[in-house]
Amino acid sequence: MEVLTILMMISSVLVFGFRSYKLSILSYVFQAFCLVSLFFLLANLHGAKELFSWAIIAFFMKVCLVPAIIFYLVKKLNLIHENEPTGGFLVSIVIAFGFSIATAMVIAPIFGEFSLIKNETALVASIFIFMMGIFGFILRNSFIKQILAYCLFENGIHLSLALSAYNSHSLVELGILTDAIFAVIIMSVLAYHYHKTFGHVDISKASNLKG
Amino acid sequence: MDILFLILIIPLFSALILFITPSNLKLISTLHIALSALTSLAIFSSIAKLISGGEYYAFNQILFLDYLGAAFLVLVAITGFFSNLYATSYFKWHFQTGHTTLKHIKLNLALAHIAIFTMTLSCISNNLAIMWAAIEATTLATVFMVVSKDNKKSLESGYKYILICSVGLAFAMFATILLYSSSLNTLGDEQSAILFSQLLPLAGSLNPHVLMLVFIFALIGFGTKAGLVPTHTWLPDAHSQGPAPTSALLSGIVLKIAMLGLIRYYAIVANSAGFGFVENAMLISGVLTLFVAAFFLIHQHDVKRMFAYHSIAHMGVIAFALGIGGRLGIFAAIFHCLAHSFTKALAFLTTGNMTRIYGTNDMHKMGNMINIAPLTTVLFGVSICSLVGVPAFAIFVSEFLTFKAAILGGKFIEVGLFAIALAIIFVADFSHFFMASFGKTVGEVKFGSEMSLWENLPLIALAFLVIAFGIWQFDSFWYLVENGVNEIKGF
Repeated sequence: MEVLTILMMISSVLVFGFRSYKLSILSYVFQAFCLVSLFFLLANLHGAKELFSWAIIAFFMKVCLVPAIIFYLVKKLNLIHENEPTGGFLVSIVIAFGFSIATAMVIAPIFGEFSLIKNETALVASIFIFMMGIFGFILRNSFIKQILAYCLFENGIHLSLALSAYNSHSLVELGILTDAIFAVIIMSVLAYHYHKTFGHVDISKASNLKG
Repeated sequence: MDILFLILIIPLFSALILFITPSNLKLISTLHIALSALTSLAIFSSIAKLISGGEYYAFNQILFLDYLGAAFLVLVAITGFFSNLYATSYFKWHFQTGHTTLKHIKLNLALAHIAIFTMTLSCISNNLAIMWAAIEATTLATVFMVVSKDNKKSLESGYKYILICSVGLAFAMFATILLYSSSLNTLGDEQSAILFSQLLPLAGSLNPHVLMLVFIFALIGFGTKAGLVPTHTWLPDAHSQGPAPTSALLSGIVLKIAMLGLIRYYAIVANSAGFGFVENAMLISGVLTLFVAAFFLIHQHDVKRMFAYHSIAHMGVIAFALGIGGRLGIFAAIFHCLAHSFTKALAFLTTGNMTRIYGTNDMHKMGNMINIAPLTTVLFGVSICSLVGVPAFAIFVSEFLTFKAAILGGKFIEVGLFAIALAIIFVADFSHFFMASFGKTVGEVKFGSEMSLWENLPLIALAFLVIAFGIWQFDSFWYLVENGVNEIKGF
């Protein structure tokens, strides 16, 4: 379990850090696969049968559907590399990593007090991945990278939900997943139109609406 | 079939019908109006059932109708209907001038019903996680209503809207998970640990320190969606770029639904960690929001952008009233949600008329509207008078109650800050109103006469409601709000 959660943490740094969109998406697929494996593992270890259905749904949605949408978008727009973000590639990774791990260390013990599955590494990982997603949104200028960042913090939320509240009503899981899928589809459509109109996916250059 | 199912199914069914209806403007407009009326009637029936028999539940307690939710359902039924009614005239003008296509009109009208569905679900969700999903879904349902054109401004506004709101609401999701795991640990029952109706009476037994963290997350999350500073930046863009009926729907209802989400957390956390904590957090957020919005409001000359900053300012008023707290403060906050909903819907719908007349939103290019469209000018004046809190208009009631609550509570510094912010808004608004309505016409007049009575009907109805709620006390609505306050106070 620790191995899987650490792999998820590493993959979130890779999703955030790779310049190549293709490698970023592949890292996301790897992370989603780790998440699905973790759901299966937790279901076996803790007798949480709800997590079996979560794992199956997450496999189709997160491992197959979401990456396929983003991959199709990148291919359609013929995008290969992300532009240099504000502060540079390396600095943005260091900032995101540092703040995310610090936040995770502070909040995880609070989660740990009440969590159904009290695995410290997994709890830290869930908050770390969520925060990496938030920093991806703040520090990256590429619309595509921001969609991936959204997917990252969505994975963080799902891991938290599995650890803290896997016995919540199945409608809850379904509601969150449906929202996430629709959000990715809508963002991808927007990104496509954005590229068509602006000629790029760099949101820092969009300054038609100010004040 | 249970009425709570019915008020969810009708708008979904309506959206489906509109999607598959042939692209005939008259047909889709008639269907849109009829189906919107049906949804509103069903919602009123559900509220009538509550008033006559008290709270009731459906679907294993996952859905419920309580007084607090019902007070907000009133907005969905009334503001939603009038915005939808006006949408048919608005899109007809745009279609006639070649600014839009039938396909786009159909999509927009169908999405309006999906938005009504998500907002209704947000009001009647007893399960806090489902409420979160429904509030997030309000963003997803309305994003393509905002992105009405394939131009740079429209796309930029849509991008900001979906990204900022989704990131913000992710924090609210974390708040929900933390609340659930904490309450499950205390209550030991997985079914009731996430139900608002079960959590509220047992809030005293929950860990207050954890609930403080929950409230901070909820404030960031729902506050982003509600347009509270500093995460308000999506709002002026989305509200100013969307078509007028969409802006009315967003400002009139969607923001209030996010506020309802926050109020539900306010109630739980206040009954656990104490009212002092949540009140202070809301006060800080409210004052900050009021002043930032007032500052930006002065500089606006785009009428829709001006009203968008108004929405932020009034979200600040609601947060401020919740921060003042007490029975009166909370009552004022809920009442303000209704007053602002009618007023802002009227204001944004009036901008639809103004855009038709001048072909622009820039108030520097308007003028002499009193002679071109006198009724529109009067309606614009009614919305401005209410927005700045002139007596006998709806917003005056809630702002007066907020002042009263603050003075009775001895919060004199807060009263002073509140008065200064409102004074800035007052000056900014009237100067803008005079600029557009009187003096010489500066720009081009594209449509040189008043709209027909039918086209102005939704505006007249909203103006009547704005004045009526400022003068009379509607017992049924006051009953809902008073009982909603009782719920929050844990009586």
